[in-house]
Amino acid sequence: MFKKAFSVVVLIALLSITFTSNFAAAPHKAQAQSVSELTIWWAEWDPANYLQQIGNEYEQETGIKVTVVQEPWATYYNKVGAEWAVQGDSFDMVVGDSQWVGQAVEAGHYVDLTDFLNSNSITETVTPATLQYYGEYPTGSGTYYAYPTEGDANGWAYRKDLFEDPDNMAAFEAQYGYPLAIPETWEQLRDIAEFFTRPDDGLYGAGIYTQVDYDAITMGFENVMFSYGADWKDADNNVLGVVNSPENVAALELYGELYQFAPPGTDNAFFAEMNNVFINGQAAMIMNYFAFFPALDNPEINPYRDSTGYFPMPAGPNGDRYAALGGQGISVNSYISDERKQASLDFIKWFATPDVQARWAAAGGYTCNINVLQSDAFLTQTPYNAAFAETMTFVKDFWNIPQFGLLLEPAQRYLHAYVVGGEGTAQEALDGMAFEMDDILIKEGIISE
Amino acid sequence: MSSYNQPARRRHIGDKRLIQMFVIPTVLLLILMNVFPLIYSLYLSFTEYSAINPTAPKWVGLDNYRQVLSDNLYWHNFAVTGRYALISVSLQMIVGFSLAMLLKEKFKGSGILTTLILIPMMLSPAVVGAFWKNIFNPSFGIFDQMLGYSDPNTAPEWLGNPNLALWAVVIVDVWMWSPFVMLLSLAGLSAIPDYLYEAAAIDRASAWFQFRRITLPQVMPLLLIAVLFRTIEAFKQFDLVMGLTGGGPALLEGRQAVNVTETVSVRLFRLAMPPQAQTGLSSAMAYVVLVIIIAISNLYIRSLNKIREG
Amino acid sequence: MSTRTAAPTSPVTISTRVDKVGRRPKVMRGIRAFAVIVITIIALLPVVWMIMTSLKSPSDVVAVPPKIIFKPSIESFIFLVTERVQFASPQEAAEYKARDDLKWYEEKVAQRGQKITRVGDFPKQLRNSFIIAGTSTIFSVLFGVLSAYAFSRFKIPGEGDLLFFILSTRMLPPVAVTIPIFLMYRELGLDNTYFGLILLYTTFNLSFSVWLLKGFIDEIPKEYEEAALVDGYTRLQAFRKVVLPQAVTGIAATTVFCFIFAWNEYAFAAMLTSDATRTAPPSIPSIQGVGRIEWETIAAASLVFLIPVVIVTFALRKHLLRGVTFGAIRKG
Repeated sequence: MFKKAFSVVVLIALLSITFTSNFAAAPHKAQAQSVSELTIWWAEWDPANYLQQIGNEYEQETGIKVTVVQEPWATYYNKVGAEWAVQGDSFDMVVGDSQWVGQAVEAGHYVDLTDFLNSNSITETVTPATLQYYGEYPTGSGTYYAYPTEGDANGWAYRKDLFEDPDNMAAFEAQYGYPLAIPETWEQLRDIAEFFTRPDDGLYGAGIYTQVDYDAITMGFENVMFSYGADWKDADNNVLGVVNSPENVAALELYGELYQFAPPGTDNAFFAEMNNVFINGQAAMIMNYFAFFPALDNPEINPYRDSTGYFPMPAGPNGDRYAALGGQGISVNSYISDERKQASLDFIKWFATPDVQARWAAAGGYTCNINVLQSDAFLTQTPYNAAFAETMTFVKDFWNIPQFGLLLEPAQRYLHAYVVGGEGTAQEALDGMAFEMDDILIKEGIISE
Repeated sequence: MSSYNQPARRRHIGDKRLIQMFVIPTVLLLILMNVFPLIYSLYLSFTEYSAINPTAPKWVGLDNYRQVLSDNLYWHNFAVTGRYALISVSLQMIVGFSLAMLLKEKFKGSGILTTLILIPMMLSPAVVGAFWKNIFNPSFGIFDQMLGYSDPNTAPEWLGNPNLALWAVVIVDVWMWSPFVMLLSLAGLSAIPDYLYEAAAIDRASAWFQFRRITLPQVMPLLLIAVLFRTIEAFKQFDLVMGLTGGGPALLEGRQAVNVTETVSVRLFRLAMPPQAQTGLSSAMAYVVLVIIIAISNLYIRSLNKIREG
Repeated sequence: MSTRTAAPTSPVTISTRVDKVGRRPKVMRGIRAFAVIVITIIALLPVVWMIMTSLKSPSDVVAVPPKIIFKPSIESFIFLVTERVQFASPQEAAEYKARDDLKWYEEKVAQRGQKITRVGDFPKQLRNSFIIAGTSTIFSVLFGVLSAYAFSRFKIPGEGDLLFFILSTRMLPPVAVTIPIFLMYRELGLDNTYFGLILLYTTFNLSFSVWLLKGFIDEIPKEYEEAALVDGYTRLQAFRKVVLPQAVTGIAATTVFCFIFAWNEYAFAAMLTSDATRTAPPSIPSIQGVGRIEWETIAAASLVFLIPVVIVTFALRKHLLRGVTFGAIRKG
C-alpha cells in the first residue's frame, strides 16, 4: 500500500512540475475583444488611492472597471522594468517617474501620445514645465509620451510658532541684521537654519535629504544647485567644467553647511525621516516633496499642525529659483492590443477634462491642470497648495536620457561622500563626479573624447 | 517487469528503482530550476545587454569580466564583503559557541531559554534591516541610549559614520545569526561521549586541556559547517544591508568616492535592476562571485572531510 | 550587543566537567543560568522594542529621547488590516466623529484623523505566505528525506559531485538569478502563481534539506534495516517503519529551517508576485501611512508575522538540538 501511495505522490509531483505551467499560463494570454476593464500600475502610496477613487467614478460613468495596482516604492521600478523586459501586457497604463521617459521611449515601451494630446488640445491644459518634464522626449522635440498626472516637487515646511516668537525675532534681527521671516534666498535659509540650531534644547535648523540609496540626496541638492545657476550639462552634453563649475561648488558647500544644522540621525534621510524630525519637534524647517505634506496636516500625527507653514524654494545669488521635480505622468503601454490602447486613451482624455482634474485635486491628487492650479478652491484647499502651485512654475529635473541611472549613481555617491562622509572639499567631490560622468558619457557614446 | 511481482524476490530487487524514485525528483527539480538560469546568465555575461531594452544581446567576449576585475569600485565591493564576512562570521562563532558552552549542561528552564535565543533568526532580514535602522537612530533609537549616550548630539551615528557603519551591519548580523551557530555547537557538544571527559578527569587533565583536546576537536566539524553556511550567506547578504544603510555612507577615499557598506550583493542588485539594468555586466559580476564562493566552499569541505576522517 | 556580554565567558565554563567529580556544582550552575538569562534578555531587547513600538502613537514612535513609558494603544493592529484615508478637512473629521453608527475600531482610527475605506492587504498576504511557505516546506522535506536516504544507503555514481552540485545551488546570490528566473517563469506562465513560488522555495531549500538529513540518516545504524529486511520487509517498508521513525528528529529540525527561509524570503517574492499571490515580506518594511512610513504598523506586522515561526519552532524544539548534526559527528 505504502509503496503505491508513495509512487503516486512522486508521480503527481513530477507531473505537476511538467504540466502545471501550461494551465498557469492561461490568465496572461486572456484578452477580451471589447475592453471592459483597465489596469494601471503605480507605486503604493496615497495618490494611488486617490486615483482609484477617480477610477471608480470612471466605472460608474462608462462601465469600464479601472484597477490601480499598487507596488511598494522599493520594488516598483524593478517590477515595471521586468514587465518591459518581457514586453508584457500586465498593465495598460503606467504612472511612471519623470526620469523613466527616455529609457521607455528609446526602447519603445510607451505609446507616442503627441497627436492624441495635440488634437484634443490637452497640451494647453497643463503647465508647460510639467508637460516638458513628465511627457516630452527628447527635450525640446515636441513629442509627448505621458500625460502629467501627479505633479510634485520639493518645498519646505516650517514652524510658525518659532518664526513668529517675538524673542526669536528680536534675537535674529540683532544677530543677522534683517528680520526673521520666510527665507527668500538660500543664504537667508542658511542663516535661519543656523539660528535655530540649538543642540542643547534638542532643536535643529533644517532637515534635508541625504539618502544614498536611489536619488534622494541628488534631488535635495538640485534645489540649491539649479538656483545657483549650475547645471548637470551644457548644450552639448559636456559635463567637465559644468558639473564641477564654481557655481556648483558654491551650491554644494551651502548644502553641506545645511547638513551641519540637521537633526542627528538624518544621515540617510528621505521623505519619511523628514516628516519624523518635524513631528518630533527636532527640526525648525524641513524640505520634502509636497506629496508627503498631508501627514503634517493631520493634527493626530503632527502635534505642531496648527503652527505649521509651508514655503517654496528660495532663490540663488542671482535671483534664480528652481525646485527639484518629483511626480509622474501616465503613459500607455505599447504592448497591448489596439482596442486596449484606444480604451486607455479614452480614459486619459476623460481624466484630463477640467471637471475630472478638479475632482482629482479635491481628492488629494496633485493636478498639473493650469486652471485648477489657479482656482481659489485649489489654492485654499490645504495650507500647502499655494506653495505647490507657485513651485510648479519653476521645476527642473535630472538627466532623462536612458542612461540616467548610470549618471545618478556617481552623483549620489559623491554628494553623500561630501555632505555626510565629511572628507575632502566640495571641489574635490565635484571633480571626481565630473570625471566619472564624463567616462560614462564617452563609453555610452553620448559625447566623444 | 514480471519478476517484480514474485513475492519471494521482492525485497531483493527494486533497490535500483528505489534510488531512482528517491533521487530523481530532487535532481530533476534542481536541474530544471538552476540549469537554465545559470547557463542563460553565463551567456549574458559575455554580452552587452540590458533586459529592459529589446535590443538583442551583443557578444563582447570578456569585456564585462575585464571591467569587473579592473575597476577599483568592484574591488572595493569585494574587499567590503571580505572584511564583513571575516568579522561577522568570526564574531558569530565566538558568541554562538560561548553561548553553547553556557547552555550545554541543562538547568531548569534552559530548554525554553535556548529556544527564546533563536527568535532573532526567525525574523525576516528585510524587516530586521528596516527596524534596526530606527534602533540605531541617535535621536529616537534605543541603541545609543543603552550604551549610555543619552545626548543625541554626542551619540555615535552608527549608520552615518563611515568608520562605524560596517560595524553596525556586523552587530545586527551577529545578533541575528549567532543563535544558529549556537544551535549547531550545542548539537556537537551534546554528542560528545561522557567517557572521554571521565577518562580525562581520572588523568587529572586541566580544564584547558580538556577543552583543547576533547571539546574543540569534537565540535570542530559542526563549527566548520556553520562557518561554511554563514560565509556563503555573507556573500549573499542583501536585504539586511539594503534596509540598514542602502550601501552607504559614502566616503571620499583619495579622489574617488566609495560606498563603505556596499557589499557585492548590493552592487549586483544596483547593476542588475533599473535604472542601471546592465544585465550583461551584472551577470559577469555574479559569475565572479559564484567562482569565489565555490572556491571557498571547496576549501571548507576539504578541511571538513580531513577532520572527519582523521 | 550580545557580543560584549558573551565573549569573556567562554573560558570559565570549561571547568564544568569538574562538576561531575562533585565540586561546587550548584554555584556553577547558578552562575551559568544567570549569564544565560542576561544574554537572553539582551538578545530579545530589540523584539521587546518592537512590541513597544507597535503599541505607540505616531509621535511617540519618533519621540526624543525614546519613550519607555507611554500610553499604549492598539491602533497599529487595526491599521494593519485596513486601508485608510486621511480626512480632507477638519470639518469632515468633526462630522465623521459625530456619527453615532461608528464601530469601535472606526472610532479608534478616527482618533488618528483617518477613516477606513476597506479591508487591507495584510490578511491576504498572510494567507499567501501560509500557503506558499507551508507547501514548499512539506515538499522540500519530503524530497530531501528521500534523496538523503538514497545518498546515505546506496552507492550512487558521481555521488560526491552530485552532492556538491546540490549544495552549490545555494551559493549564488539570489539577485544574480532573479532576472533569468523571472524571464523563465514569465515564459512558462509561472510568475504570480502559488505554484511558481512553491517550486522555487522547494528548490532553494532542497540543498539544505538534503545535506542536513543525509548527515542524520548516516548515523542511523544500517543493521536496523538489515534486520528488518531479513524479517521479510521490503526496502520501502524498512525505510518507512525503521528509518523514518529514527529520523524524526532530523526531519523536525529540517522543517524548522526550511520554514523559516520560505516564510521570510524577500527578493524573489518581490519580483515574482504581485497583488493576488503576494506574500507579506516584500510589503512589511514599506508599509505606508499618509505621507509617512508607519513604524507602529510595521512593528505590528512584524510581530504578527513572527508568531507562526515561533509556534513551529517551539513545537519542534525538542528535536532541534539533535537534528542539526549534518553527519559531522563521529560515531563514538
